[in-house]
Amino acid sequence: MGQIEFHNVYMRYPSGFEALKDVSLVLEEGSMTFLTGHSGAGKTTLLKLLLCVTRPTQGQILVNDVNISQLGSRQLHYYRQNLGAVFQDHNLLGARTVFDNVALPLRVAGMGERDVGRRVRAALTRVGLLQRESLLPMQLSIGEQQRVGIARAVVSRPKILLADEPTGNLDPELSRDIMALFQQFNHVGATVIVASHDRSLIESMDKPVVELDHGVLLRGRPDGPPSSYDA
Amino acid sequence: MLQFTSNRAATSLLVWTLVGIALALPAGLMLTQANLSRLAADWGGRPGISVYFELGAKDAPLLAMRLDQQPEVESVVLTSQDEALREFLQHTNLHDALADLETNPLPASLRVNVAASLTADQLDAMAVRLRKENGVAEVMVERTWLERINAASRLAQRLGWVLGVLFGVGTVLISATTVRLAIEAQLDELKVMKLVGASNAQIRRPFLYFGVFYGVGGGLFAAVLLSLGLLALETPLRGLLGSFNETLELRGFDILFVLALLATGGALGVAGAVLAVRQRLFRLEVL
Repeated sequence: MGQIEFHNVYMRYPSGFEALKDVSLVLEEGSMTFLTGHSGAGKTTLLKLLLCVTRPTQGQILVNDVNISQLGSRQLHYYRQNLGAVFQDHNLLGARTVFDNVALPLRVAGMGERDVGRRVRAALTRVGLLQRESLLPMQLSIGEQQRVGIARAVVSRPKILLADEPTGNLDPELSRDIMALFQQFNHVGATVIVASHDRSLIESMDKPVVELDHGVLLRGRPDGPPSSYDA
Repeated sequence: MLQFTSNRAATSLLVWTLVGIALALPAGLMLTQANLSRLAADWGGRPGISVYFELGAKDAPLLAMRLDQQPEVESVVLTSQDEALREFLQHTNLHDALADLETNPLPASLRVNVAASLTADQLDAMAVRLRKENGVAEVMVERTWLERINAASRLAQRLGWVLGVLFGVGTVLISATTVRLAIEAQLDELKVMKLVGASNAQIRRPFLYFGVFYGVGGGLFAAVLLSLGLLALETPLRGLLGSFNETLELRGFDILFVLALLATGGALGVAGAVLAVRQRLFRLEVL
């Protein structure tokens, strides 16, 4: 699982707001792509569609040739277990420790506690938070909370990693550290999609870019490799 | 779940009390009905006539002998005036009052147990014949009491079912509301769980346990309420039944009854939880 294709995707919310208009693009397996655009351009909607949080009004979204818009509830949870997601507002569980937050996807997948402990500590080591595993999220800084979110997203070694404005609340140095983490993860084969409006950060990474504006795709060609974008 | 529940101990106690009361009322009525039926069945097994003689009448032993020879009579129990007085003194504290009386005010009586096959008309005909016997002051056919007990039993049964349905629905709604509140309190966590790949069954399961927890707890509370109620009613019931020469032996409130109460509570609790989960978690599919 890793190749992602959008074919003529439209997304209109019940309020009537059209978030995506005729979006078609291909993201190759193992690629790292930035999704950019102004606020309201449709970046988060595109990620939500990939998470199956919402379904497109029209068009097809294929992940390894499977139309994810038509997944039933049983298939959906298997699909999501192969996805990692980092949210701008972290979505951490306030009443659970850092360890338990990171362990959540593994426990949901039914992994034994010994393996859970090993994998969680490995993920926390990678984000530099091993010493904070027993703290609650509210006892951490914003940057640390974001790194907990990343550890949770990568702990199950997903094939696809989605990140929505992962550096939105962070200083430039921490942003670069987090991007380096995504890059490491990409190097071991995961398809990574990062939604960000931080142009300087995107340019510094030298990765393919998909740009949206008011729901319309400005950059990113559906029939070519992600490295060959149109201007 | 245990942590969530212990954090809301007061709520859990309140829910148990509500479910307990809702289960105890129909269960109590059904228990009453079962005992009334048993009482009626015991009486029905030996339909009879009580014959009371005029004070000082000497005809009781002779009539007892004659009745005993009749095929439709199973047995005859003669209670003389002296025996009646002794029994009365055993059941009351009126020794001093009776000591002041010059004569024994209690009549001799016959308890005529007739064959179970005797019809109501035959029983009435026998009563009419007995009323004409020498020295007889009053004849009572116990069928009247039997009819009253049967009517009360039928009423208790019907009332038990009506209240059972009403309070059963109430229990389901209590459970559904409580589970719904628990879902609302954990909505953010549930959304995150869905996003990391939790299946619907994984999301649902803890709330079904909640339903069982509240239902079984309520059933246990109902059993405690019923046993307290029986304890409170034991003395007056003993007196009432003693006046009918019946001993108090409440049946039905045993381990099977308690288990049935727990199972009913658990089933209604789960039904409520399923209702709440279906209503609320359906919306989690699309955030």
